[in-house]
Amino acid sequence: MLREFFRLAGQNVLHRKLRSILAVLGVLIGIMAVVILISFGLSLKGLMTGEVAKVFGVDTFMVMDQDVMSGKHSGGMKEFGLNLETLKGVDGVKTVAAVRQRTAFVEGGTNGEGNVQQGFMPVMGLSPELLTDFAAFTGDLVFEEGGRQITGTDVDAAVLRRELADRLGAKLGDTILIAGEKSNEITATVIGILAASDEKQAEQGFASSMSSSSSDTIYVPYATMDLLWPEGNDFLVTVVRILPGYDVDDVADRAEVALKAEGSRVSAITSSDITSVIDQMMSYINIFLAGLAGISLLVGGVGVMNTMFTSVLERTKDIGVMKAVGAKNRHVLAIFLIESGLIGFLGGLIGTALGLGITAAACWGINTFAGLPAGASFPFVASPTLILATLFGAFALGAVSGLWPARRGARMPVVDALRYE
Amino acid sequence: MPLLDLKGIVKDYELGKTVVHAVRGLDLNIDRGEIVAIMGPSGSGKSTLMHLLGALDTPSAGTASLEGHNLHELSENELVTLRGKKVGFVFQTFNLIQSLTAQKNVELPMIFQGVRKSARAERARALLEKVGLGERMKHRPNELSGGERQRVAIARALANDPEILLADEPTGNLDSETGATILELLKKLSIDEGKTMILITHDPDAAAIAHRIVRLRDGRVVQEVRNA
Ligand SMILES: Nc1ncnc2c1ncn2[C@@H]1O[C@H](COP(=O)(O)OP(=O)(O)OP(=O)(O)O)[C@@H](O)[C@H]1O
Ligand SMILES: [Mg+2]
Repeated sequence: MLREFFRLAGQNVLHRKLRSILAVLGVLIGIMAVVILISFGLSLKGLMTGEVAKVFGVDTFMVMDQDVMSGKHSGGMKEFGLNLETLKGVDGVKTVAAVRQRTAFVEGGTNGEGNVQQGFMPVMGLSPELLTDFAAFTGDLVFEEGGRQITGTDVDAAVLRRELADRLGAKLGDTILIAGEKSNEITATVIGILAASDEKQAEQGFASSMSSSSSDTIYVPYATMDLLWPEGNDFLVTVVRILPGYDVDDVADRAEVALKAEGSRVSAITSSDITSVIDQMMSYINIFLAGLAGISLLVGGVGVMNTMFTSVLERTKDIGVMKAVGAKNRHVLAIFLIESGLIGFLGGLIGTALGLGITAAACWGINTFAGLPAGASFPFVASPTLILATLFGAFALGAVSGLWPARRGARMPVVDALRYE
Repeated sequence: MPLLDLKGIVKDYELGKTVVHAVRGLDLNIDRGEIVAIMGPSGSGKSTLMHLLGALDTPSAGTASLEGHNLHELSENELVTLRGKKVGFVFQTFNLIQSLTAQKNVELPMIFQGVRKSARAERARALLEKVGLGERMKHRPNELSGGERQRVAIARALANDPEILLADEPTGNLDSETGATILELLKKLSIDEGKTMILITHDPDAAAIAHRIVRLRDGRVVQEVRNA
């Protein structure tokens, strides 16, 4: 009997085409908005997790100050202390690279009037391993002609940005004086200047993402850092690669325990930690999206309700006839509920298809024209769960919106319905 | 035992503060196989009576029983089921469902009784052939003439093989010639199929096919005549 009710309801939808189309349109727009918003969120998440995976891989974790990841410390990085040898000794650790940062008094060349250019600048010490083993962290830095990156054997060397080189009046091959704690100081040769024109590319690298005042930063070898400030309590981050066959989360846990046992206030972060932060963030975005979606669906639902009231009114006589030939109240109710459910479902079907189509096109557009970082992609995600949920939800939306009108129709006394003109 | 038995039937309609007494104390028995014509001026309560006879409505007072079932004692759903199985209606305005084909309109009463699809389709075809519309099964009401629509309505009324056919001015919207053929058809069917038929009409020609003519005025029976 149910199948026949579907057929009867379908006939009704088809019989009043224009009105059905308008009601379908109302649902369609709402569902389309929902699908676009959610798919876009999924794409965004895909982009972020893709980037995280590229930097971390399955064999890398980071050690940071424990407040940075827990969110207690806002505003980027925070220096912390740890014993690098302890980290290197943890079972499963293959390579450790560290970044340290201090503020130092720096003296450059003289300007036109013969004044020495000097000031306090951040100095960042990079482990040679960082440059050799963790290229994804540093990015592809572009040097001005004749310049080069710091290597493991450098000691009294520095790399500057173009802006800073200008301010210090230093050219490639010049020396600058860097003063550390107590009376430690070194005279470092400028071995490389990062091209200013290629700032965008440098932005993607580790240097810019790690420090907000990176255009001021002087990069020096890790060994130089040790000479200037022997006490290692100024780590910004350490990056750890593990040996094959180990699980990155296990090794990270062991490292964290070992470091904390020595009093270091650090936490070890793997890609799954970051992914869960992203998930958390996405869940807030999703709550917001659900609110928007709810509003548009409400509008669609009111449209269906309006259509169904009209439909019930218009078919009052039909209701009378159906009841006269043996339809019970629940039969009439079912027919109208199915009718409004079908309107919802149709809106859901078309809305989902359009929504996915628009999202796919937008993803393609972003990937093609938006100039994402090299290798990054904004993936189009067609989630089967989303599709099934919206289709079912659209049918339910239609049915629920039709409930009130359908009940009114079903409860109409048969004699009154038959007399209706 | 009469098929239909009405005793002391009263039907009032309340319209705000005024009460309309549509039927004021009416007794009527109808036997199986009878053709009864109900006549009377407009507003005399004929349609109201038909609704009561067909279990579409319940009286304000008095008892109405169909095949011994006291309609007062039945729940709404039981009334619907009884009506669906025992009574077929033919209306003055045909009352076909516009969005459905002739065949589907005839199938409708069977759908609500849960008759299987194949059985339903076969019976609808047979009935439409019987009323001379075998070629028009797939037509919708707006593609049919008035007389053809009323034939579809008659086929629909017969769908569940009811005991009783109730026709409220079935020729009221038809020209006299078409009306005459519809009356012929109704008479033939009720005799062939052994149906009890109650025919409400203004038309003396229509009344002529009945075994008995009941005249109403102001909600009361004022005259009963047996046709020869
Ligand atoms: N639902 C209703 N509400 C109020 N009054 C009603 C209702 N149905 C019928 N009446 C009144 O009851 C009286 C009898 O009406 P009914 O329709 O039975 O007359 P009828 O004999 O069928 O007339 P006609 O020949 O014009 O069809 C009329 O006065 C009518 O106004
Ligand atoms: Mg009438």
